[in-house]
Amino acid sequence: MNFELSDEQKMIQQSVERFVQDNYDLNTRISLSSDNLGYSNDYWKSMAELGWLGLPFDESDGGFGGNQIDVLVIMEQFGKGLVLEPYLASIVMGGGALKKGGTESLKKEILPGLVDGTKQLSFAYAEQQSRFDLEDVITSARKEGDNFILNGQKSMVQNAETADHIVVVARTSGGQIDENGITLFLVDASSEGLSMDNFPTVDGLRASEITLKNVSVNADRVVGNVDEGFEILQSVANDAILALSAEAVGAMEVLYKDTVEYTQQREQFDHPMSEFQVLQHRMVDMFMEYEQCKSMLYRATMESVQDPKAAQRTIHGLKHLIGKSGLFVGENAVQLHGGMGVTEELRIGHFFKRLLVIDSMFGNADHHLQKFTTY
Amino acid sequence: MDIELSSEDLTFTKEVRAFFEENKIKEGEDYFTWRNNWFEKAKEKGGWDVPKWPAKFGGPGWTPTQHYIWEQETTKATIPFDIPFGLGMLAPILMGYGNEEQQERFLPPIRERTVNWCQGYSEPGAGSDLANLKTKAVLSEDGTYYTVNGSKMWTTLAHVADWIFCLTRTDDSGIKQKGITFLLFPMKQEGIEVKPIITLGGAHTVNTVHFTDVKVPVENRIGEEGKGWTYAKGLLEHERTGLAGLSRSLFELENLKDLARTVTRGNSNLMNDSGYKAKIAELEIDLMATEYTELRSLASASAGGKLGPESSILKLKGTEIKQRIQKLTVEASGIYSPAWGEKSVGFPFAKGGTAGYLNSRYFTIYGGASEVQKDVIAKKVLGLTKGSSK
Repeated sequence: MNFELSDEQKMIQQSVERFVQDNYDLNTRISLSSDNLGYSNDYWKSMAELGWLGLPFDESDGGFGGNQIDVLVIMEQFGKGLVLEPYLASIVMGGGALKKGGTESLKKEILPGLVDGTKQLSFAYAEQQSRFDLEDVITSARKEGDNFILNGQKSMVQNAETADHIVVVARTSGGQIDENGITLFLVDASSEGLSMDNFPTVDGLRASEITLKNVSVNADRVVGNVDEGFEILQSVANDAILALSAEAVGAMEVLYKDTVEYTQQREQFDHPMSEFQVLQHRMVDMFMEYEQCKSMLYRATMESVQDPKAAQRTIHGLKHLIGKSGLFVGENAVQLHGGMGVTEELRIGHFFKRLLVIDSMFGNADHHLQKFTTY
Repeated sequence: MDIELSSEDLTFTKEVRAFFEENKIKEGEDYFTWRNNWFEKAKEKGGWDVPKWPAKFGGPGWTPTQHYIWEQETTKATIPFDIPFGLGMLAPILMGYGNEEQQERFLPPIRERTVNWCQGYSEPGAGSDLANLKTKAVLSEDGTYYTVNGSKMWTTLAHVADWIFCLTRTDDSGIKQKGITFLLFPMKQEGIEVKPIITLGGAHTVNTVHFTDVKVPVENRIGEEGKGWTYAKGLLEHERTGLAGLSRSLFELENLKDLARTVTRGNSNLMNDSGYKAKIAELEIDLMATEYTELRSLASASAGGKLGPESSILKLKGTEIKQRIQKLTVEASGIYSPAWGEKSVGFPFAKGGTAGYLNSRYFTIYGGASEVQKDVIAKKVLGLTKGSSK
């Protein structure tokens, strides 16, 4: 057992940390978020040049052969600046699906562009009725000659607006909640019959509702095997949960540290607020939640690298803890900042909102608690 | 002890219900015309337009049970909105400490809802430690007016208020609680600048207010110079009871259950999800208990004539309940809770639920933060001399 990062990972950690410090102060983030794209294309190019976009992909696909631990290193630092660039949607989710299930020719076609930052992906899995259940899929894909015809609606799709291709989860056979019969398709974002309704999310990012009306997709665009897509879907979801949890841990670190600093500066009742024991204990609680989340993140990530199947239960536990503790830390950071905490002026509120969104993605604390108990 | 309502109370309940029923807003009716008429009719009933005012000042003089019945019924009826600052916060101070001239001048427009008030208490350096306020009021040499300079913060609805009741410092030589003076003055005048503070839910309800050489005639001072803190303290206890908002929570809890029923889960809905259902149940049990804590507090107030520090429990429990309702609304929205902006995405309640949750974080901060409320209980109820601080 060894919790030390490799020298290479330490270098990446330092370079991402520096990038976030230099480029992601609150005002820059706010202006990027309300800008056309919703993020910075220059930043995205830098991330490609620094090799971060290629990190999780195999060397044969133009990547650097990294794993979930490398992604953790990046995402934790991203969480400290609430980075807007679509690393999760494009690299971890979209790219992850191709890495896990794409044919050689699909990988050859897409991954190099993904790694050099010229192409982007999105991953459309949720539907209105599905809530957090991955296997609940109504969107249909019907075989017609060499093609599949896709019909249905996908909800809360991240980064769809700027994606070149969207990995769409659809049902090729079976009932609404059967794991069997789910198939993943790589769909061109400009396909005829595909329409998007784009909107901002409360954390300053973007999402879309996607409608598919007789969208024709060639059978060679299937990612993985027909009817057997659930395994890839779950594996992508697990990687996304690990990445989101790492981001959340980074955000929680900022929240508890900012709170400690603020209470030392703010005076009420003729004392710095940090001298009041009740507030000290609350900050200790926040710190403890942060450390526990970090431990669970390390545990789930290391188990995933070793044996993804065996890690499933731990991943449910992780997402439960991240959801619950993330909101605990966020709510208390706001509380201890008093009125200032609920304004848009301090970064506290922005981090809190991101943690709220993270809890809603890939299953909230309740959902994963229930899943955990089924093992 | 007896939970049974007397026949008088039952008659009263029927009367209240009938009144609400008769005066419902009609289709196509202009809201503000209806609102004015509603208060007019309520006044004719014998002070029902100002339920909490004492009979001496034109209120109905109800028993605690009648107040409870009224609150219960308002959760089920459509009644016009009201802003609490004049009616519920300033009015009791005017009644208790204002002179006759002030009562005659200020109470009628409050009752008629023609003048909107805001509360100038908190400042950048005076939040939980309210007595630390620095806004200065200097009496003119001839003793006819004060000149006010300084800043107030978190001033709710200052941007729509006609008047402000304001705590100012007239003396800083002694302890902080002394030397505070309670002044009333119009908001729409030179020297007053109102700047919005946008809160996390994207709403503009609170403001920063700056005063530069604002002149306030001395007849607009409540009570004596330097005793404003004493007057405001009684009001704060009053405010804290009002902030519990239990009848509103009862309404919102039922509303939440209805929303959750629209979220399908397989062949059923979210209200049948074991985890979610359990959280709703826990919330409802807390709400039931808190309702009776409020009743007990009302009863002891009517017996002793004054709210005791036990009213602090109500603000703590009441605001926590309100926050939990908002949090469970976010949970009901599921994947749609992040949706923001102009459009409605997923569930119609999703965006409002998220905004409500974010804004609800304020409930445990304003009107005395929860930590301060607990200090009050520790000191005044449990007799712990140093409270939980230091």
